[in-house]
Amino acid sequence: MNEQELKQISQAHNEPAALWDIRQKAFQLIAKTKLPTMQRFSYQDWPLTTENDLSWLPPKPSNIQPTQFTLLGQMVINHTFPEEWQAKGVRVMDMFQAWHDDPTTMTKYFAKVIKPSESKLTAFHYAYMNSGLIIKVPRNMELKAPLELNLIQDNRIDGGLNSHVLVIAGQNSSCSILQHWSSLGKQVNTLNSMVEVIAEPGSHVNFSALDEIGVSSTVTFNRRALIKRDAEVNWAVGMMNDCNTVGDIDAELVGDGSQAHSNMIGVTGHQQHVGINNRVTNRGKHTLGLINQRGVINDQSELIFNGIGQIIHGAHGSQADQQNRVLVMSEQARGDANPILLIDENDVEAGHAASVGPVDPHQMYYLMSRGIPRKLAEQMVIRGFLGPVLDNIPSANVRQHMINILERKLKNE
Amino acid sequence: MAKLEVRDLHVSVKDEESKSTKEILKGVNLTMQTGEIHAIMGPNGTGKSTLSETIMGKSGYHVTQGDILLDGQSILDMPVDERARRGLFLAMQYPAEVPGVTNAEFLRVAINARRDQDHQISVMDFLQKLDRNLSLLDMKESMTERYLNEGFSGGEKKRNEILQLLMIEPKIAILDEIDSGLDIDALKVVSKGVNSMRGKDFGALIITHYQRLLNYIVPDTVHVMMDGRIVKNGGPELAKKLEAEGYTGLRDELGLDIPLVDDDQ
Ligand SMILES: Nc1ncnc2c1ncn2[C@@H]1O[C@H](COP(=O)(O)OP(=O)(O)OP(=O)(O)O)[C@@H](O)[C@H]1O
Ligand SMILES: [Mg+2]
Repeated sequence: MNEQELKQISQAHNEPAALWDIRQKAFQLIAKTKLPTMQRFSYQDWPLTTENDLSWLPPKPSNIQPTQFTLLGQMVINHTFPEEWQAKGVRVMDMFQAWHDDPTTMTKYFAKVIKPSESKLTAFHYAYMNSGLIIKVPRNMELKAPLELNLIQDNRIDGGLNSHVLVIAGQNSSCSILQHWSSLGKQVNTLNSMVEVIAEPGSHVNFSALDEIGVSSTVTFNRRALIKRDAEVNWAVGMMNDCNTVGDIDAELVGDGSQAHSNMIGVTGHQQHVGINNRVTNRGKHTLGLINQRGVINDQSELIFNGIGQIIHGAHGSQADQQNRVLVMSEQARGDANPILLIDENDVEAGHAASVGPVDPHQMYYLMSRGIPRKLAEQMVIRGFLGPVLDNIPSANVRQHMINILERKLKNE
Repeated sequence: MAKLEVRDLHVSVKDEESKSTKEILKGVNLTMQTGEIHAIMGPNGTGKSTLSETIMGKSGYHVTQGDILLDGQSILDMPVDERARRGLFLAMQYPAEVPGVTNAEFLRVAINARRDQDHQISVMDFLQKLDRNLSLLDMKESMTERYLNEGFSGGEKKRNEILQLLMIEPKIAILDEIDSGLDIDALKVVSKGVNSMRGKDFGALIITHYQRLLNYIVPDTVHVMMDGRIVKNGGPELAKKLEAEGYTGLRDELGLDIPLVDDDQ
């Protein structure tokens, strides 16, 4: 597809000039940029930027259970919220609808946290973005119930999905969002999933993600929060995909006194390859960033966790701490947990811990000596291993759902 | 009824550092059955824990000769969990901590592991049984909501081993230094727990360094182990004699050539 064709499609889709402008620049960047490198993980030969197409297809019927906001492929198929939210100005809507209705707000916030120029993946994403939604929580508004986003990649059809979620949390607002990714069908496709969170001063965002994409996809994800003064963002990501996945979770602590807790659980199996960067960057003064990652690697799979804690010069009195731990469940599995600390300020506290190894044989022996079969004992030990991160996931439902998927993944070997 | 037989058991371990193998058990013979309480005493490092771990099936203990039979059937090829489900139990000298798994959850899973799908213990029955045993052992209910052994004091861990014994109700239990680190009151409570199991369907092999425990749990038979072998068998009076005279006296009386830690050399 050339630039002219892309432009025609964008116009036919009624996209405003401002969005075309972003697409066009991104399109030109694709050729000039490279895939980001990841420590100890190679994915350069994955087909991540090959399906260069932009089209809109009506969704095929399916019997999925819609939640509050359900996007099947590119189309919103459900959209129900408490009336109170609507009345108070909470907006949850399709990305292209938002561009159509309110290009000023979109131009102000869109593509500001993750820039098209960062890499070939980001350029590709913005040029071919074909699905997405925005969430706007007005200032001082507290969303009491979690907002559930059900995003489904439709692999019954041929074509990659470039999905963009933009969250704007107004000043002193608070919200909990659950992004649940799954897939239908078996066609080989890519998923490029991006989340930008803008946490305005004093806001509080709990963002949980549960990724459950099937084996035929290849996934890249990029979830990043820009966290302003005294704001707090908590990531809780469960990477339970069955497919090859490379991803970044980022917290940019730009405002003084801002905080981020970046919790991640990854479970891999079969021949899967997964590489995750979990990055917290302390820029403001007195900022606090905690990374806590736990992985379980089964079968012949590979899982790499990089924890990247960076304290920028000027971030006085800041704290960064990270724990990266992986359990290696089989002899053919490969795993790594790398803490990377880059510290450019003196009066700060930074720490890290990492471990890579099999389940503790002493614990296994103890449980089995009480008659508990090996598989069940393993599950119990793994539950315990994941506990410190599971405990940080705010919703009991999400926690239970993660445990269920986990147990399914452990069993189906 | 159940019967445990250890026949001419030789066990070696591999030293991870020097890569050399070392024979720890050098021909142990022992037979016990339900309805009986046996005690094993012996100096440090003679192989008492090695014997119990080998019976339970811990990896790293290589049986080079001899056999272990439960009800006439060799258990050497059985995995640990199967031995347990067949009725063996080991109260360990150093119980593991398992964070993330509550004590109560663990107990329920352990009980249900020996029942089939259609006969899992009901929540009601489980809680009643748990309550009864907690009060028998003077344990607080809050202990069961804590993660398994995590942060338990030495004495609490021992008590928790006995709680498991009472909940699981094995046929034959090996208690490895269940008395070490217990204060006097705890010792009585733990003994009360073990004694409550006594009967025709339960047998125990008690490993201890202190005759005092055997005042509370009076054994039928006492075995003395030295240098990887059982060197003498007797009744409860044998334990009293050892307490008075130490192992050196017995060794010299038996004419054994075994170095003991308390030898003045
Ligand atoms: N896994 C092992 N690797 C190396 N040596 C071992 C291992 N297990 C036991 N041993 C050695 O075997 C010997 C017997 O140990 P064991 O623990 O069975 O003694 P014990 O009679 O229980 O002593 P204690 O009264 O101190 O508990 C000791 O010398 C010990 O160091
Ligand atoms: Mg011992």
